[in-house]
Amino acid sequence: MDKIFANRWLRLAALAVFAVLLIVAPLVSSRFINYQLSMIAVFAVALLGLNIVMGYTGQVSLGQSAFLGLGAYIAAYGVRNEWNLVLVLLLCAIIPAAVGMLVALAAARLRGLALAMITIALPIIGIPLARRFSEFTGGSQGTTVSFLGAPDWSGLANDQWQYYVVLTIAVVAFVLARNLVRGRVGRAFAIVKENESVALAMGVSPYRYKVLAFTISSLLGGVAGFMYLAIVQFTSPETMNFFTSINLVAAMVIGGSASIVGTILGAIYYVLVPVVAGQVNSSRTALISGAILLAVLFLLPRGLVSLPRRMSLLIGGTRRRGASPRDDQNSPDGASTADPGTPETPTAHEERQAR
Amino acid sequence: MAAELSVRDVSLHFGGVNVLEKISIDITAGQVVGLVGPNGAGKTSLFNCISGHYQPSSGSILLDGIETAHAPASRMASLGLARTFQHPALRLDATVLENVMLGAHSWLPGGPMSWSLRLPATGRAEREARGEALALLDRAGLAWAANVPADELSHGLHKGVELCRALLSRPRLLLLDEPAAGLSHGEVEKFIETIRGLRIDFDLTVVIVEHHMGLISALTDRVVILDHGAKLMEGTAAEAQSDPRVVEAYLGKEVTDDESA
Repeated sequence: MDKIFANRWLRLAALAVFAVLLIVAPLVSSRFINYQLSMIAVFAVALLGLNIVMGYTGQVSLGQSAFLGLGAYIAAYGVRNEWNLVLVLLLCAIIPAAVGMLVALAAARLRGLALAMITIALPIIGIPLARRFSEFTGGSQGTTVSFLGAPDWSGLANDQWQYYVVLTIAVVAFVLARNLVRGRVGRAFAIVKENESVALAMGVSPYRYKVLAFTISSLLGGVAGFMYLAIVQFTSPETMNFFTSINLVAAMVIGGSASIVGTILGAIYYVLVPVVAGQVNSSRTALISGAILLAVLFLLPRGLVSLPRRMSLLIGGTRRRGASPRDDQNSPDGASTADPGTPETPTAHEERQAR
Repeated sequence: MAAELSVRDVSLHFGGVNVLEKISIDITAGQVVGLVGPNGAGKTSLFNCISGHYQPSSGSILLDGIETAHAPASRMASLGLARTFQHPALRLDATVLENVMLGAHSWLPGGPMSWSLRLPATGRAEREARGEALALLDRAGLAWAANVPADELSHGLHKGVELCRALLSRPRLLLLDEPAAGLSHGEVEKFIETIRGLRIDFDLTVVIVEHHMGLISALTDRVVILDHGAKLMEGTAAEAQSDPRVVEAYLGKEVTDDESA
């Protein structure tokens, strides 16, 4: 019990420190750093969407960049036509969600590679479409906008104000997503990923939850597109680039799939590693990024988020085993709990027998 | 509240193979019925038809008078049906409690919107489900394991967790697919006690697919013997064990108490 409490307080304290850092950081940093921090928030939201469909629900999605681009174009169109920004943000959520849902209604019946192919098609179709409809998108040149400048009363520079706006959106998205994956819906996602027969038996329709996961993923992709435009103030067909999708998948795996904290770590990786690699040796950026990717996956197959657990396993791997005799005191019925202290041998043995 | 199940002339064909051939079984509310037969007799296929995982090629399945032969499997939980699997498919990375909580899915209220906003109703229902889940685990002697990752438990304990998960869906008809498979002798004894306890405390109809005749004799009111996809006989466990047809099809060759462990 003490341990749980200590853990919870530790967590709250860490969260508070993190929050203060996030709020103070742009006030004391350069424009360059603020830009990078803002980009982390942008891609954290895009990754959050990807993690919901891929990490939590186990469905391959290689088209997240298409929704990022779609959101950015919708935002650019709305801004140029001087629509209310809240309305623009809502449209950036709703339209990609609707597109994602339509695609998923057809694609969610497929699995594995077939599903991956459909999602690959999205950026591949999206880019020529974006070039074609140049009156909306500015064609290959892309489109530049200028919006979300800091209001006078705030006393902030534009980059600081934009940072706070995207940070607020990201925090809201993360809180909502965290609530979602921790309850009824999250358990349904997890069992769809794990075993569809069991899902059915528990009253979970795998199809419906896959469509839901894709819809939420596209929604978050669209919102990230809005945030992207707010920071970069420019978008072009390149935003949809298929390689962005692939890099996002890599970042999700590196951060930690099916993990909220892992999503944030993945976004930090996604934004910062190319920057760091570029500063180390600007002609070897890809090579260095690739080496870091391999190193992380080799050392931490469950992603950066598993680093603390991995460390504690290395340091005190036997502690948990030693603690299990407490169980006997709690349970009046010793029969089944008599041997939790040595679960290893019977488990492996019985499982072999069961097969 | 226990459910009444009526299987009428159910056939199941996969391509040219007749897996089930006009099976009819009536199970009255509150009975415990064993479904017995050699491997490949169609027991699990019949289970899958009842639970909606397979759609029978013909025939009808009535759960409390409601036709469910073609209902989607995901609807069956809300009609009061719960089942376990031969291999308890738990999420090994999740805690035992999280695994059990999935059982509450069919009766927890609210969609994605209300859960992401954590509306008060969802919080209340979640706490209620958690309380129920912990009570079920406690009952199964697994309270100590609630916060332990499932992969740290043995196969026998997985079966117990899976049973708790099924019970949390508040079923009226419980289908148990080979609950004793892979269990040690002591675990089987304990399982028999658990099911006896369930009959008293929960108002349940239970159907068990099992090879373990000790378990079948100890628990069931009636057994149905299947062979080659057809019903061979129906009666008490004792009648079945002395029936020459059954002995020939199945029991004479295989059954001993520790053989199925």
